[in-house]
Amino acid sequence: MNEEKTIRLDRMRYMKNTLSSGFALLAILFDVCFFISIYESDVGSWYYTILVGGSILYNLIFMLAAFLSSEGVKNYKIGYSYLMIVLGIIQIARIFVYPVRAHGAVVTIQEQAVTVMETAQFTRVVIYLVLSAACLFIGAIAGIIRSRALAGHLASLDSQAA
Amino acid sequence: MAQLNIQHVDKIYDNNVQAVFDFNLDVKDGELIVLVGPSGCGKSTTLRMIAGLEDISAGHLLLDGKDITQAPAKDRDMAMVFQNYALYGHMTIYENMAFSLTLRKENPNVIHKKVLAAAEILGLTSQLNKKPSQLSGGQRQRVAMGRSIVRNPKVFLFDEPLSNLDAKLRGATRREILLLHKRLQATMLYVTHDQTEALTLADRIVCMSMGHVQQVGTPIELYDAPANKFVASFIGLPPMNFFDVTVREGMLEGKGFTVPLTEEEKGVLLPYAGREIDLGVRPEDVAADGDIAMSVFSNENLGMNTLVHGHIGHSGAASNKISAKLRGWCDYKDGDSVGVSFSRKHFFDKESGNAIRKGEKA
Ligand SMILES: Nc1ncnc2c1ncn2[C@@H]1O[C@H](COP(=O)(O)OP(=O)(O)O)[C@@H](O)[C@H]1O
Ligand SMILES: [Mg+2]
Repeated sequence: MNEEKTIRLDRMRYMKNTLSSGFALLAILFDVCFFISIYESDVGSWYYTILVGGSILYNLIFMLAAFLSSEGVKNYKIGYSYLMIVLGIIQIARIFVYPVRAHGAVVTIQEQAVTVMETAQFTRVVIYLVLSAACLFIGAIAGIIRSRALAGHLASLDSQAA
Repeated sequence: MAQLNIQHVDKIYDNNVQAVFDFNLDVKDGELIVLVGPSGCGKSTTLRMIAGLEDISAGHLLLDGKDITQAPAKDRDMAMVFQNYALYGHMTIYENMAFSLTLRKENPNVIHKKVLAAAEILGLTSQLNKKPSQLSGGQRQRVAMGRSIVRNPKVFLFDEPLSNLDAKLRGATRREILLLHKRLQATMLYVTHDQTEALTLADRIVCMSMGHVQQVGTPIELYDAPANKFVASFIGLPPMNFFDVTVREGMLEGKGFTVPLTEEEKGVLLPYAGREIDLGVRPEDVAADGDIAMSVFSNENLGMNTLVHGHIGHSGAASNKISAKLRGWCDYKDGDSVGVSFSRKHFFDKESGNAIRKGEKA
């Protein structure tokens, strides 16, 4: 192994994984954008009200979990990288829960026919969820690679010391 | 490698206070110079001028032969360690030590090597991931030094780095600075008001008073042969005793006591026959085996020594007070009388305060 690479590995002992934690925070930011955007929907029935409400409730859980992950991956804890992957998969899955069902659906509000979610809004919220998921995946992959590299480096230091 | 020449440097502050008068010093490569003197004598001002944090009013400053009198602080290749460590609380020790290099956009791998090397020298390797608040005062001081070491400056400047530490840590950190100096072989200027630090650390001491350099020399030179009364009283603890005496035939006559002179001392004092001078005697040069009657008023046992305070001759005269550091454990009571002798004497001219040396004209 060349020296440059060893030093780069060694630096991780003292430098936090801010790349991964940054992506986790970015994922939260896109989630917030999503969260704000779905308020624009014209929910005219219990069905969509419950869907939006559920999505917002999940947002709270998501933000908490993503924030914990960002702190965990910062310190090269590999478990939090896996958590980020799970959160990313759920972000993708969410597309099919609320936005897809609401897109183009028509409800009656004060005897008027109203579209719950227009295509423009639909595109926007889907993009937010996809970006949020992408950030989680990138951060998680970087986290896994770095955590493994650091663990390997620490093990080799240990064996040198022994 | 790093040679510093300070030539005729003055400092006059904007309010017309002159803090430093005609400071001259040639610092050799790898030398540890201690500037010592009472508070307000211009030590910090001198150091700050060298660092470039203060303008030099007159004179020249040369680093390795290059005139840097006007150079801005950042171009001087010097690192200053302050009394308050000025660490960044939100950064780890590693980041604190790397900070100045990161600012200069050095290669992170190079920074890493330097930080680890400095941490190794300072014994901070296991602390690198901690925050300053998790470290002790002494460790924080070492981090502050580490920040200078990574920059690999030509000259290290310390302004009273130990004064925030408690007495025990001060001793330990002092030894560490000495060790650091040996390992780095670096040129260092160290400011302190503590004569003990000066004596223990310095290759050479610069003793200052009221902006003037009083004496430059090795610790033993300042202790053994102080140039004047100020240096004599400042260096050494407890401080030197001074007596008003008149030079008589073969002896000194004080107020109600006489002190015999050796042949050599007679020769030195020949030009002062019949005149008043100051006699200086260090407490540790007083022995309880002579003819000078000392009457005791307090007795402090220090273990190996006993510090005895009292007076000789007439009790009324202020200049007759004496402190003696006697060997062993003594138990003198208030009012006891002890016969003492002076194993070493220092003589000072009454008017100039300068030491009277052999072969010098009065
Ligand atoms: N910025 C300043 N402006 C005016 N006078 C100053 C300034 N800094 C220090 N002095 C004066 O210069 C003298 C020397 O100060 P300083 O160098 O700090 O002493 P030391 O470090 O030996 O205690 C003092 O009399 C002080 O009042
Ligand atoms: Mg000062």
